[in-house]
Amino acid sequence: MLTIHQLVKRRGSRTILNGISFQARSGRVTGFLGPNGAGKSSTLRILLGLDSATSGEALINGVPYARLRNPLATVGALLDGSGAHRARTGRAHLSWIARSAGLPRSRVDEVLGIVGLTDAAAKRVGSYSLGMGRRLGLAAALLGDPEVLVLDEPVNGLDPEGIRWIRTLVRERAAAGRTVLLSSHLMGELAETVDDVIVISQGRIVADGTLAEVIGGHGTLENAFFALTTPNGRVAQ
Amino acid sequence: MRAITAELSKLLSLLSVWVALAIGLIVPTAIVAINSVSTRKAIALGDHTAVGIDMGYQELAFGVIGAIIIGVIAVSSEYFTESGESGGGRQITTSLIARPSRLRFLLAKATAVAMVSAVLASASAVATMAEIRIFLGEHAPELGSADVPRLAGIVCYWVLSALLAFGITVLTRHGIVPLAILIVNTSVVTVTYLLTRITSLAYYFPDMAGIRMFIRNLDDSTVEMAPLVGGLVMTAWVAALLTIAAIVFCRRDA
Repeated sequence: MLTIHQLVKRRGSRTILNGISFQARSGRVTGFLGPNGAGKSSTLRILLGLDSATSGEALINGVPYARLRNPLATVGALLDGSGAHRARTGRAHLSWIARSAGLPRSRVDEVLGIVGLTDAAAKRVGSYSLGMGRRLGLAAALLGDPEVLVLDEPVNGLDPEGIRWIRTLVRERAAAGRTVLLSSHLMGELAETVDDVIVISQGRIVADGTLAEVIGGHGTLENAFFALTTPNGRVAQ
Repeated sequence: MRAITAELSKLLSLLSVWVALAIGLIVPTAIVAINSVSTRKAIALGDHTAVGIDMGYQELAFGVIGAIIIGVIAVSSEYFTESGESGGGRQITTSLIARPSRLRFLLAKATAVAMVSAVLASASAVATMAEIRIFLGEHAPELGSADVPRLAGIVCYWVLSALLAFGITVLTRHGIVPLAILIVNTSVVTVTYLLTRITSLAYYFPDMAGIRMFIRNLDDSTVEMAPLVGGLVMTAWVAALLTIAAIVFCRRDA
């Protein structure tokens, strides 16, 4: 379970997050939706302890990320790109993470198999396509077989088969009682995958509920999204 | 311990680190090879003063470039940004997600840098001293118990220089500036040395103080400094810099 409570983030005079609160429950896939610059990535970075909050808190099973005893077995995260240095091979990247978390080397080969990178494991990350880089990032997220997955734009750069694979993966994890929080701007894709939806716009939560609740009378998630995030959204419909 | 092995694994899986290791071995041994040609000629002409007290040590002072590069890469590789087409990610996010305690992460990284630099310094010192023996034979300066602290001084100098480069790069988050400044200062124009012409305080710069640990013949020096004092002065610089780097690193957004 992920809890964001009254989170505020300011950079200089700019307010990026304006006291947002929401939860991502276990056993459900929660979609985190918003236009570029709305505060999605900032929220996820604070949740993962990468950025500090001006005030408020972001908790994983009741504790801040920095205080997790076994972070990689608790949370698997995918942020921008692959998160790997381009000069290292895919396997070397996963190997140092596994070492750092005390995971067996065999787990590296397992996750390479899961994400379909076994054949590219010995190649340098610099030679990977965007989609392969994302798969490597996902492999890193899955290394510790975590209870929680936090994925920022996971389908970005993936081919249709990869997109379907991600959808199946997150649905299976939620079905097994785990928590999945994923951000995306691909409305159609999200509507196929998520149980709950949180919509953020200009640093404020503008909708929070089940997929059906958020769509409401708008017909589609896309219509609901534009109605919620643009001043003339209703007119555009 | 896990964090340290992870950092060692990171370092040793980068080609650029292996290039730095090669530089640390090749630079002093190559300078010795070049210098021994003229030294042998001088000896043949009967000039026995050609073999100086600092032979080998002077060359090793240049080899420190290898350790400096390792210190810089250890940090700059974390902040290297992927191209926009690859998603624009940086490894530091992966590192801090795996190791959320920033201070421990930085300590593990610094320890890994110190360990690799110490091994490199030892290997380079052995290779350089052995080479002098091979090139100059009986004319090579004798290695005795007095050389033990000097050789230890070389290892300390390399480790401290690597940590100095490491600390500066934590602050800049980019490798080019620290690499350029430190390499130029070590090899092309030693700015800190030139400053000693202006003020004797410049002898307390970390590099100028640090070389006292193993260089005995600073003939134009106006400041007396024992090897141990030189080492302590350099250690104080490095400790201060690492403290500032750690405070900044723990406070700023990744």
